[in-house]
Parts: sequence; structure tokens; C-alpha cells
Amino acid sequence: MHLIIIGGGEVGHALARALSDAHDVVVIDHDPTVGERFSSLDVEFLHGSGTSTAMLRRAGIERCDLLVGCTGLDEVNVVACALANRVGSPKTICLVSKEDFLQPDGGGDLLREQFGIDRILWPEAQLADDIVRVIKAPGAIDAEAFLGDRVRLLEYRLEAGSSLARGPLATLKLPPGALAVAVKRGEEFLIPRGKTQLAAGDKVFFMGTHEAMHEVQSRVVAARESRARQVVTIIGGGDVGFRVAQQLDRSPDIELRVIESNPKRGEMLAASLSRALVLQGDGTDLALLEAEEIGRSDVLVSVIDNDERNLFASLLGRQLGVRKIITRVSKPGSLRLFERVGIDVPLSARGAAVASIVHGVAGGPSNLLAVLEEGQAEILEIKVPAGYTPTPLLKLQAPPDSIVGAILRGDQVIVPHGSDVIQGEDTLLVFTTAASTPQVRDFFQPWSG
Amino acid sequence: MRLPVVLHLVGGILRLYAAAFLGPVAVAALYGEWWDLAGFTLAGVVTLAASVAAWRAAPDVPSDFRRAEGMAVVSATWLAAAAFSALPYLWVGLGPTDALFEAMSGITASGGTVLTDFDRYGRALFFWRGLTQWIGGMGVIALFVAVLPRLAIAGRELFFAEAPGPTDEKIAPQIRRTAAGLWKLYTALSAAMTAALLATGMGLYDSLCHTFAAVGAGGFSPHPQSLIGYENPAAEWVITAFMFLAGANFALQYRALRGERRALVADEEFRTYTSLVLVSAALVAAFLWRADVPAATAIRHAFFQVVSILTTTGFAAADYNQWPEQAKMILLALMFVGGCAGSAGGGPKVVRHLMVARYTLKELARTLHPRAILPVKLGGRVVPDEVMRAVVVFMLLYVLVFAVITGLVTLLGADLVTAATATIASLGNVGPGMGRVGPMDSFAHLHPLSKVVLVVAMWLGRLELITVLALLQPGLWRGATWRQRPAGPTPRVPPSVTP
Repeated sequence: MHLIIIGGGEVGHALARALSDAHDVVVIDHDPTVGERFSSLDVEFLHGSGTSTAMLRRAGIERCDLLVGCTGLDEVNVVACALANRVGSPKTICLVSKEDFLQPDGGGDLLREQFGIDRILWPEAQLADDIVRVIKAPGAIDAEAFLGDRVRLLEYRLEAGSSLARGPLATLKLPPGALAVAVKRGEEFLIPRGKTQLAAGDKVFFMGTHEAMHEVQSRVVAARESRARQVVTIIGGGDVGFRVAQQLDRSPDIELRVIESNPKRGEMLAASLSRALVLQGDGTDLALLEAEEIGRSDVLVSVIDNDERNLFASLLGRQLGVRKIITRVSKPGSLRLFERVGIDVPLSARGAAVASIVHGVAGGPSNLLAVLEEGQAEILEIKVPAGYTPTPLLKLQAPPDSIVGAILRGDQVIVPHGSDVIQGEDTLLVFTTAASTPQVRDFFQPWSG
Repeated sequence: MRLPVVLHLVGGILRLYAAAFLGPVAVAALYGEWWDLAGFTLAGVVTLAASVAAWRAAPDVPSDFRRAEGMAVVSATWLAAAAFSALPYLWVGLGPTDALFEAMSGITASGGTVLTDFDRYGRALFFWRGLTQWIGGMGVIALFVAVLPRLAIAGRELFFAEAPGPTDEKIAPQIRRTAAGLWKLYTALSAAMTAALLATGMGLYDSLCHTFAAVGAGGFSPHPQSLIGYENPAAEWVITAFMFLAGANFALQYRALRGERRALVADEEFRTYTSLVLVSAALVAAFLWRADVPAATAIRHAFFQVVSILTTTGFAAADYNQWPEQAKMILLALMFVGGCAGSAGGGPKVVRHLMVARYTLKELARTLHPRAILPVKLGGRVVPDEVMRAVVVFMLLYVLVFAVITGLVTLLGADLVTAATATIASLGNVGPGMGRVGPMDSFAHLHPLSKVVLVVAMWLGRLELITVLALLQPGLWRGATWRQRPAGPTPRVPPSVTP
């Protein structure tokens, strides 16, 4: 495939690195110094504007299969995608950072129809939604929702003395609609079987229906943490912080504070949010955090536009006694470090976007729904073709390190056990480690034939 | 300040007001009150002549019409209207102070009276009293909804930020259109109320008089005992309902009628106003019931009196002066509130109390969170600092003026309850107070100077203090001139005068 990436920032670089081995990649950026970062990769770097037809032609727009607009400027991305669509006929993916492009009136659909943009990604919004989901699942360190919120995935770290660490999985009597799909012990993933024994310190992934997950939550989380009222502090009222705040502002059982350093922005936040307390100050100012008793918070969300300051603010929060800390990480390499120093949930806005683009390039009948644990594990959505012979799960010789977490049949969600049968036209949610993803894809590939 | 321009405008408005004298003239003719008919005719002619003379002081309104001139016009109009409305009272034998008091009480839709022996006066005179309140009520709605928001006085601009019509339109046609819409609503409401009162068995003359006084939030009744004299519970409920509407924002009622169903319900001031009525009435009813008033009567009287006082109408369906102290205290507190902004009601208005309350709460929260950004919001929107400041200053000024006038009236010989309630009843355009100026008493026994002071209070209160007090700034008058234009182009030839 021939790919053109407009914008050599973090997303552009991550994309190039993931795709340059198997595909022809051309990166266009107006900043020549960016080129050095790409010198170690097998990509062609062009210095110039992504909104110039001449430049697009030089990059080989005529034979291009996919163009990704991922500069820091939404308008440039939109124009580049639209131009590419006129000059050549690639698939186009456009990254945006403002709500304007997605608003229902004259938003996403208009861009699709009038500018020929195939996909619009708004990583910050996705990140904000992720954060809100994690906040609303007390005790969980990650939370995802699939199939229109009919299936949920929750990740918990088991504490010492947890009732789930008392015996093999089979004896734990999990609610019928829930399934433990994976365990991460140290750096290693294992797909749990009936005889698997969970231990304190394990990260366990549960998948299941809404109701069942509610029960799981009450089993895992200590009573004090699952109390109805939560105190949430958001540090940084930028795009992500504001979006999270807006969503939390609506729930009456969340007491919300937002700390924003820019007074003008703070005024805007205070004007738009009805219940939240907006504080003007620096999220890394210990005196402020102490005066406002930030340590009393159940959740601290640090989403400043700067990894170092986020880390610092989060560590201060941890020091003051905040229970759960969610932090935004921009540099992909820092995720693990953040986790190691005690951040419960480091999240990267762009990581998810990059993974979903990369997956789209790989193709197949599957659809990447979520990336977990810094890309070590993924959730795939796979459509079973109509003529498929019904096969019980036990007989399915699926690749190792993968598990079917849920089956959607018509409107019905089935959380499967070994005896459950896969039929034609089912939709499967498959949990897999990233390493096994190609095998899983290949395994289900013939079905699409 | 160009005085001819001010005169021209005041004259122009009073020219129209002169037509109002036709009302009592017709009533006098109907009931054969020939002496009064002559008086009203004379008063009408004098008003018309004087206003036309004033109107001719300047040829037209210059395009560079100024804020100060606007405020002068508004203040002078109410004062002049009161002066001319006093002529019929002079004619029937009242002294000049009493006549002016009665007239000011009418045109400001207050409702306090100096008349003691109602039998001495004809029906035309009571019709006139009511009519002045009806016109005064309409005048104040038009003033505050259509005209004054543009002058941005005492935070008014905020309450009508959503004034209908595109903003780039010329001001005059927009004012005219808004005023026309309000006029229609006001008339329709009056017609509905008269019809409803007729249905309760009240006669046409009394129905009209009560409609005028209720829709204008005035409170003059042709009966010396106000509503007590009719013993008509149905009529009391009808009047309660229409007083409630008269005290609600007319701009919102207009929008609600035009199809915006939720315009009223969505309005925070209206919701507060409604809750205030319900809670106060429930409390008053409870206290009355404890004082052995039958439950049905207690509820009816409580609702009637609470609405009557809160909307600053001032009718009495019971002599609340005789009520338990707790109930009286609630009514007294309501006198300091008043109706909604954009209503016929007086007082500081519900919305200003609401804003000051929120502002206070925010300031309290600030002691706990010194770094917090705490904007005051109304209807989901942030109240700009300058508006908030204007509102706070207004409230402080209101209290100050209340204190000063209460002091003056007390010094002039009234007891403290009488002085304080007479003051707030006049300043808030309620009408009757408590003590010796209760609903069954009159202001007649007060010292003449007290009456003059209270006339000023009614005038100040009706125009929300600042409109009038701003004119006291010496800088404004230093530049006052009798010339029409300071210099420059020659004045146009005055257009021919239409009588």
C-alpha cells in the first residue's frame, strides 16, 4: 500500500513507525527539522505543505491508497484530505481537535459528503470519554463499553485479601453474565481457565453485561470506594479537561472541581459548567492543592498539555492521598514509566487513534474496538459470515492468547462458555494480546471469503 | 442637556395622555355628574394646551439624543403626569398636597390614598383614579421593557437581553414594535379580567375600576373598604389571578402567548416569584388558621393578600392590620420584594433579590475557596460584573432611601411602624401600609410635609431610583441650555401643529 501522512508530529511518527515496514510511507511536513526524526525509519520525508497539490503529486497521490491528515491544525487536515480526494482517490482519515467539525449540523456528515473525508478521528474526545468511563466505574483502572454499551470491559487490580484471590476461578461463582477474559501478572498476559488462581496484584479483565458487571464491581471493590458520591478533581481545563468536566457536571452524585491556570479560560469554564467549582491556579502548586483538600478526592484527573507537569501533579495528588489517579500521557514511551511510579490509569489520546488507523490498514473482516495496556492487548469485533457452520466454542481451534468475550446474536448478548455455539451472522468480541492479533485475524479471515 | 428637547418629548407624551380625560368625562356624562364633567373637561383642555405648548419648544428630536436627556424625559413625564392628573382632585375640593399625593399614587400605580369620605365624590372621580393606575402601569411596563434597557440603568439591560427583534434594527421602530406588542397583551389581559369579574356578578363600573387597578398593579378600589366591601369570594380569586399576572414579566408573557410555551416556566425569576407566592401564602394561611379563621377563608385571604402585596397592588380583601403579627411580618417582608422585572409591579423586583442572594452565597463560598472563579449566573448565563455592581448599588441605595424617608416621616410626627410602612409602601408603590396607614385607613392624617416626601418616594420608587437620582449630578445641569442646538446647522422649520 502507498500511504501519505500529512504532519510529522507524534501521531504521524507513531503511524510511520508502525506501518513503514510493510508499506510505502510518505510523510509531508512544513517543518524541515521534523525530518530528522524520520531518518531512522524507512519512509520518504517531503518538506512542504500538505495543502499544496504539487506536493501531493510529488508524494504520489495518484497511486495513494490512504492519506492521513494529522497536523496540529484541524483546518489543514481537512483541506489536505479534501484536496487529496480531488486529485487522487485515496481513502482519507482526518484528525480533528475541535468539536466544530463533528457537530451534527454541518459537522461530520457534511465533511464526509462535501470533502470526501472517509473517517474523522477526534482523539481528545475519545480520551475524554475513556476518562469519564473510568471515573464512573469506581475501583476500576480501565473501563470500556462496546456494542452500544451493552457489553462492558472493566480492569481491576486485585488488592491483598480480595475475595477473588481465594480460590480457582471456577469456584468463585462469578455472575452468569460476566467472564474473566484475561489476567496480567507482571508483564505477562494469560487467558484464565477454570483452574486459574488469581492473586493479589494481578490485573484482571472482566467482560460482561451491564448488570453482571455491576455485581462484579461490588465483589471486587471495597464498600468505601463504591459509595455513591464521588469527589473528582480535574487539573487542566483544556479540550480534554473541559469535555470530561462537561460530562461529569451532569451527574448529581459527583462533586467536581476543575483547576485551571489561565484566568480567561477559567472564566469560560465557570460560565459553562453549572455545578463544578472552578479554581484558578496551578495544578502543581502544593499550597493550592492542600488548601482545597485535593487529597479528599476519590479521583484525580490530570490532563494538562504537558507530560512532566501532569506527572508532577499526579504524584502530588498521590502524596496527598487521592485514591485513583488518571493521567494523560502524550509521549507514547512514557506510559510504562507513569504506571511504575504509581499512576493508576495513564491514558494517551493519540495512542488509541494510531492503533485504530494501523488496524484499519491491516484490514480484514475484523474491527479494532479498543487497545489495552499500552497496546499489549486489543479487543476485536469480528463478524461471522452467513453460511458458517455452527461450531461450539470448545471445538473452535482459536489461536492461543485469545478469547471470545461476548457474542451478539440479533439483539441478544451472550457471554459465552465452552458449550456455547458460534453461528453465522454472529458478532464476536474477541480479547487478544497484540502479539496474537495477526493470527486471530488470519484465523477468522476465511470466514469473510 | 437640551431643555427644549426634553420639553418637546414630555409634551409629546402628555399630549396623548390628555386623551385619558375622555374616560371620566364619559362616565360623568353617563351618571349625570355635570359638575365633575366640567372639571374633567377643563383638566383635559389644560393638559392638552400645556403639553402642546411644551411640545412646540423644539421642532423634533435630534439624532444625537443623549442618555441624560432620556432620563430627564422619563422623570419629568411622571412628575408632569402626576401634576396634571391632580387637577380633577383640586376641582372636587382637595388641597394641593393631597391632590398631588392622590395623583402621584395613581400614576405610579401605588394605591395609597388620602381620601377619607368616599361618599363625597362622584363615580367619575373613582373611575379616573383607576384609569390613572392602568395608564401608569402600562407606562412603566413599556418604559422598562422597551425603552430603559437601552439606557442600561441599574442592571436593567440584563433582564431584557433577549428583547425581541434583530439588534441591528434602528432603535425607534424596535421600541415601537415591542411597545405595541405589550400594549395588545395589556389590553387583552384587561378585557379578560373585566369579563371574568362580570361573570362573578360584579357590576360593570366596579369591574372596570378593579381591572384598571389590578392590571396596573395599582390598588385603588372605588369602595372605601376595598374588596371587603363586596363580599364576593369569586371576585377575590379572579383578582388574585390577574394581580399575579400583572406582577409577572410581560415580555415573557408576550413570548409565551406567541408560542414559546416554556418562556415563563423556564425563567428563573418567574419560578422564584411563583414559589414566593406559594410559600408565603401557605405560611400566612397557617397563621390565620391558628388565629381561628376558617380554613377556606384563611387560604383565600392569604393568597389574595400575599399576591396583592408582593405585586405591589395593594388591594385589601381583609383588614390585614388586624392579623396576627407573624402574618403581618410576612406581608411586610414581601413589600421589600416587589414584582418581576418587566411587570406593572413596583419594588426592587424579585430578580434583583435573586441576584444579590446568589452574589452573597458566592462571596461566602469565596472565603472557603479564595482561588475559585465564581460567576453569578442567571438563567444559565453569567451576569457581567458591571451589571452585578449596578444591582448591588441599587439595592444599597434602596435601603438608604428607605431609611432616610422613614426618618423624615418619623421626625414629622408619625409613629415608627406607620412611618416605616408608609415609606416602603410608597417607595415600593404598594399603596397601603400598616399601623395608622393600614388598608382601612388613609394617609390623610400625616403631616403635609410627610405627604410631599412620600410623593417623592412614590416617584423615585416607580422609576427605580437611579433614573431620577442620576439627574441630581451637578455636572448634568452645568451644560443645560435653552438653545435647541449648541451650534451648527440651522433648525428646521417646525412642522404644523396638530391639536
